[in-house]
Amino acid sequence: MVTIKLFGMTKMLAGNQGSLSLALPNGRRVKDLVELLDGGYPQIGELIHKKKVLVSVNQEIAHEETEIRDGDEIALLPPFAGG
Amino acid sequence: MEPIDESQLVRVQRENFSIDRELDRVKSRSKRIGGIATFLGIARDRSKGRDVDSITFEHYEGMAEKKLREIRERGLKDFDILELLIIHRYGEITIGENIVLIIAGAEHRAEAFRACKWAIDELKQITPIWKLEHTPEGEVWVEEHP
Repeated sequence: MVTIKLFGMTKMLAGNQGSLSLALPNGRRVKDLVELLDGGYPQIGELIHKKKVLVSVNQEIAHEETEIRDGDEIALLPPFAGG
Repeated sequence: MEPIDESQLVRVQRENFSIDRELDRVKSRSKRIGGIATFLGIARDRSKGRDVDSITFEHYEGMAEKKLREIRERGLKDFDILELLIIHRYGEITIGENIVLIIAGAEHRAEAFRACKWAIDELKQITPIWKLEHTPEGEVWVEEHP
């Protein structure tokens, strides 16, 4: 089970939840997580495919092949708009 | 340089900041500072043709601070400056209030200006902070960073 932090529009698209818990076996990769999101939250999945939403693992931007282990801190990051 | 709590030089905070106090903080870092450039971002009442009543900033706690620390460290390494301070606020901010402050202190103005501009541009690119604009027509998550 992994917990995914949500922010901004991704939080809104998940029904205003601050995080999601998904069953993802240990040792899987970001692309497996995206596949799960495609099924449960297709609008979020689409934004990830369009690279409008980035996936971070342990506070660093991840890519499709980044491995996810139990206890990793995962987040979905919509386009930044600070400043 | 004087010993100083470095965590004060990079902050993400809800409360407002005093520009004078932060300028003093940077000045106190080195007597070699001869020029200081500042960027102050404030909440405006219009965005892409829409009226804006207020703004709420959300940040990824932990990662936002980490990225701002990275910007300070890279700024100090890549520019001929003596100090770089970065503060960004979160939570609800009303029109006219302060949002972000960058202060670059250098021996001479040219590097202070360059580092200050680079730091705010970089902040917009890599820092996980999001902006929700409250407008008369509803709430809008801002997607781009001009």
